[in-house]
Amino acid sequence: MSDLVTIFVDGIELQVEQGATVVDASKRVDVDIPVFCHHPKLEPVGMCRMCLVEIGMPMRDRATGEPVLEEDGSPQINWGRGLQTGCTVRVADGMRVRTTTDVVDEARENVIEFLLTSHPLDCPICDKGGECPLQNLTMAHGLGESAFDFDSKMQNEKHVPLGELIFLDRERCIQCARCTRFQDEIADDPVIGFHNRGRALEIVTLSDPGFDSYWSGNTTDICPVGALTTADFRFGARPWELIPVASISPHGPEGANITMSTRQEAKSGGRVVIKRIMPRQNELVNEIWISDHTRFVHHFADAADRLTKPLIRKGGVLVETDWDTALTTVAEKLQAAGSSAAGLSGDRPSNEDLFAFQKLFRQGLKSHHIDLAASRIAGGDVTAQVGIASGSNLLDLGRGDVIVVVASDLHEEAPIWWLRVKQAAERGAQLVVLNVRPTRLDKFATHLVHYPVGEAVATVRQLLGAAQISDGASDQIGKIAEAIVGATNVVAFYGYEGLTYAETDVLAKSLANLLQVKNSDGHSHVGRVNNGLIAVWPHNNTQGAWDMGIHPALAPGYQSVDQPGRSAAEIYSGVQDGTVQTLFVMAADPVGDGLMNGRGLLDFLVVQELFLTETAKVADVVLPAQSWAERDGTFTNGERRVQRYYPAIQPVGESRPDWQIIEQIGHKMGLDKPHFAASLVFKKGIAAGVPQYSDMDYRSIAKVEKQYPDVGGEDLYYGGTSYENKHGLGQQWTSAAESGDVAMFTVPDVTPSAAGALPVIRTAALYTPGTLINRSDVLSPRMAQPTLHLHAADADRLSIATGDAVIVSVNGQSLQLSAHVNGAAPQGLALINGVSYAAGVLDAKIETA
Amino acid sequence: MLKEKYAKEIESLLARYPEDKKVSAILSLMHIAQKEYGYMSQEAKEEVADILGIDPTHVLSITGFYSLYYEEPVGEYVLEICNDLACALRGADEFIDMACQKLGVQKDEITPDGLFSIKNVMCLGACDRAPMLQCNLKFHEHLDEEKFDQLIDHYRQRAAEGDDRAHEVVDKILIETHH
Ligand code: SF4
Ligand code: FES
Ligand code: FES
Repeated sequence: MSDLVTIFVDGIELQVEQGATVVDASKRVDVDIPVFCHHPKLEPVGMCRMCLVEIGMPMRDRATGEPVLEEDGSPQINWGRGLQTGCTVRVADGMRVRTTTDVVDEARENVIEFLLTSHPLDCPICDKGGECPLQNLTMAHGLGESAFDFDSKMQNEKHVPLGELIFLDRERCIQCARCTRFQDEIADDPVIGFHNRGRALEIVTLSDPGFDSYWSGNTTDICPVGALTTADFRFGARPWELIPVASISPHGPEGANITMSTRQEAKSGGRVVIKRIMPRQNELVNEIWISDHTRFVHHFADAADRLTKPLIRKGGVLVETDWDTALTTVAEKLQAAGSSAAGLSGDRPSNEDLFAFQKLFRQGLKSHHIDLAASRIAGGDVTAQVGIASGSNLLDLGRGDVIVVVASDLHEEAPIWWLRVKQAAERGAQLVVLNVRPTRLDKFATHLVHYPVGEAVATVRQLLGAAQISDGASDQIGKIAEAIVGATNVVAFYGYEGLTYAETDVLAKSLANLLQVKNSDGHSHVGRVNNGLIAVWPHNNTQGAWDMGIHPALAPGYQSVDQPGRSAAEIYSGVQDGTVQTLFVMAADPVGDGLMNGRGLLDFLVVQELFLTETAKVADVVLPAQSWAERDGTFTNGERRVQRYYPAIQPVGESRPDWQIIEQIGHKMGLDKPHFAASLVFKKGIAAGVPQYSDMDYRSIAKVEKQYPDVGGEDLYYGGTSYENKHGLGQQWTSAAESGDVAMFTVPDVTPSAAGALPVIRTAALYTPGTLINRSDVLSPRMAQPTLHLHAADADRLSIATGDAVIVSVNGQSLQLSAHVNGAAPQGLALINGVSYAAGVLDAKIETA
Repeated sequence: MLKEKYAKEIESLLARYPEDKKVSAILSLMHIAQKEYGYMSQEAKEEVADILGIDPTHVLSITGFYSLYYEEPVGEYVLEICNDLACALRGADEFIDMACQKLGVQKDEITPDGLFSIKNVMCLGACDRAPMLQCNLKFHEHLDEEKFDQLIDHYRQRAAEGDDRAHEVVDKILIETHH
C-alpha cells in the first residue's frame, strides 16, 4: 500500500493514497466533482475544464518552515490564484478542496454553456438521453439560457459508421477524448483518432475494417454524450424503459460480469427481449470492460430458430411431441441401456446442469461413460491442486511479479485476461511469453520465446530443469527460470495452441511443478494469494465441467472413480463399432464439429439443445433447453470463481432448464423428485456433493462489497454506464495448495504430434463461426473467415499467393480456405484460422483449389 | 513507394530516434510523403503508417491537426491567408475575397493552370504586419491589392522559368538527412 495523506474536501477530513487525483479522492467521501474527460481508469488529461475546484495548501513560514497559523490555531491556507482542474491535481498532505463555492458554481455554468454552444440538444431522439452525463450535468449546473446564438451551431453529420459496430454522431461529440484514450491506453488499438481542430474536430478511423478493435463497445459506455452508439442498440429503446438483469458472459473462461438490459415490447410479440449487454463492474474479474464478443453475441437467445418443443423420431422423421412422451422415452431407453449408456456434454451449461447430468449417469445408471464432447485442454485436476489461489486479483500484479503465458493467444481466446495481463506488464510485472508463433502479447513480453514446432513441452521441461538446478545459467531459459523462482508472485497461464490434449496435460503438470519450486526464502508460487496456475479454457464453464465431474475418471470434486468409464474418443469409436448403443448429448454438436461421423451404429441418441444442430438432426429425441438468459444458474470461471446469473427473458416455447429436464428424466428412472429451483440443485446437490463448493450457496456467491473506482452510481459522468455490481462478486474456491503442501506431479512422457513437410496448426479467433455466434447478424461482417496463413517463403515454395483458394486436408477432412501471405505465420509453420477446433500439429496436405 | 524511392532519407530519419520511439519521425515522413504525392493522399497516409508500424488513423489525425499537411490536392503555390483577429481587423476577409476573385477560384480550389490555391489559416504570428499570407512557407506581409498582384506575377514567372516546386521544408529535411 502506498503512503496515505490527509486532505479536507468541503471540510470533510479523509485519508487517501498519495498520487490519487482530487476528483478520485473526493469520490471516497461521496463528493462528486463533475467531470467529462476524466475517467478513473484513464490517465488524466484536463481537456474539458468541468472539474474546476478551489484548491488550497497550508502555508509555511519560509524562514522557519513552520506552519503559519490563524488566530484560532488552525493552519492558514493559501488558496492560490484561481480554480484548478481536480482531475489533474494530485492530493498532497494538508490539501484543502472547495467544491461548492460560488466561483466553482460559476465555472461549471460556464463550461456547460460553452459545451452547449455547438451541441445539437437532440436528447429526445438520442440513445444516451436518460443516462447522459452531459444531460445530467446540464440539469445540475446549466444556466437554462445561453448567450450564444442558435444559428451559429456547427451542423455535422449524424450517422457516421465507424465500421459496422459503432456509429458516430459528429455534432454530439464534446471532444473529451475518452474514446481515443481508451483505445490507446487500455485496448492498445489506437484505431480511432481526432481529426482537425477546434469546433471542426471529429473522431475518425482509417483502420480496415473501420474501428477495428475487440473493445469498441466500451467506448459507447464511457462516451459522456450520445456521440458513440452501437449498431446493435441504437434507436432500440430508451434507457428508462430497460430492466437491468445481472448476468455472466456465456462465452470465454474469464467470466465477465454483465448486465442484460431487457424490455417487454410489442414488436417482439409482447415478449421480454434483451436490448443490449452492458458491463457490470467486478474489479476482480473484468473491471468495467467487456469484449464486443460478449456484448453482441446474445442474439442466439432470441433467435428465431430456437427449438421450442420436444421432438421425437417417427417413421424416420423428427416430429413434435409433448414433454411427457419425450421424457418417458428417454428414461426407458437409458434405463434399458443401464451402465452401458454414455453421456457427452458441452462445457457451456451451468454447474447445476452439469452436476445433474453426471448424477443421472453415475447414480441413475451406474455409468461412468461421461465426458466433455470436445476436450481441448487438460489440467482441471492440476489447477484444483495449484490453481491461482483464492483471493487473488490480476489487478494486484505489478513490479516484482512474473506472469507466464504458454501456448495461448490470449487476445483471441480470453481477451479480458489479455487486457489484465497487458496491464500488469505495464505496471511493471515481468511477462514471459512462450509460444510457437508471434501473438499480440509479444509486444509486452519481458522474455519472449518462440519455440520450434512440437517443442512446447520440451521448452517448459527445460525451464523446469533450469529452475530446479538454479545454477544461474545465463542463457535465455536460465534467465527466465531465475526470474520466475525469484519473483514475489507468479501466475502462469497455459493454453492449447498447436497442442494435443496429452501435451496440455504434460504442460499443466510441468508448469505446476515449476510454480512449486521454492526460492531462497522457502516460498513457492502456489497456495499463496496472487500465485498459481490458470488454464485458458475454451468456454465459459469448462472449469465447472471439471469441478462437477464431467470426466470418465473423476467424479465431482475430483474424486477418482474405481472403474473409469469411456472417454469421449472411446465413446465416438464405440458409436462407430457398435459398442456404444445409447448416447445422451447435452449442449454439444459432435457431428457438426466433425468428431462423430453421423449416428454410427447407435440404437438411441438423445440430444438436448437450443438449436437443431447436425447432431440433433440425427437424434431419436431432441429436448429443447433454455438458454442462459431464460433462467438462473452458476458458472465457474478459469480463476475458479463461482458466479451467479439471473433470468432475464421468458422461456422460448416449451423449453426447460437443462438441469430440470435431466432431473425429470431421473425421476422417471427412480431418482429423487426434481428440485424446484436451480438454487436447490446447488444447495442440495453441488454444495453437498462437491467438497470445494461446500461453503457456498446462492447467497454467499451473491455477496457484494464496495468497489473502487466507484462506478455505476447516480453520477454516470464519473465512470460511464457500466452497471454497479449489486448481485454478486462470486466466490473463489480454495485450491488444495492453500491448505497445505501438495506433492510434485509425476509428468508423463508424450510424443508431440508428427509434423509433415509444412506443419500446420489451428489458431483461435475471437469471432470463429459457431452455433451461437452465427446468430448475431451484427457480428457477421467481423467473422473470422476460414484462412490459411503462410509465410512468404513457404507460399513461394508452394506457389500460393494471397487470395488463392486452397484445400487443406486434415485427418480425412478437407477444409476450404483462402490463403493469406501477410506475416502472421512464421517461416516453416502454416496457420489455419477461422475454423472450428483441430488438435495439435496437423499433418495436413495443402493444395490450390 | 516511398520506402524504395526515399530509402536513404527514411533510414536516416528513423535512425535519429530510439527503437521504441520511431513514431517520432512521423512529421518528417509526412513531409516526404506530401512532397511525393502533392498532398496527404490515402496512399501517402498508408505508406507512412506502414513505415512506422502504426494505424493509418494516426497519420490522418496528424494530417488534420497541422495546417501544413494538405488533405486534398493543392496548387503548386499555396496561398495561406490569415484572417485571425488582427488580420481580420486589418481587412483580411476582404483581402481573401479579392484574392479569390482575381484568381477566379473559391477557397480551397486550385486554379485551372494548377499553380495556385487559396487557404484560410489561423494566426501565423505576424499580427503586427497584417494582413499577411504565407506561400510555401514564405511570409508576405503588409499586403494590399497591388502587392498581391506583384506576388502572383512573381510566382507565375518563377513557374514559367521551371521552378521545381518550392517545398523548402521537405528539401531541408532531405538535405539534413544526407549528412
Ligand atoms: S465521441 Fe464521445 S468519448 Fe469520444 S471524444 Fe467525443 S464525446 Fe468524447
Ligand atoms: S478537465 Fe478535469 S474532467 Fe475534464
Ligand atoms: S492574426 Fe493574422 S498573423 Fe496573427
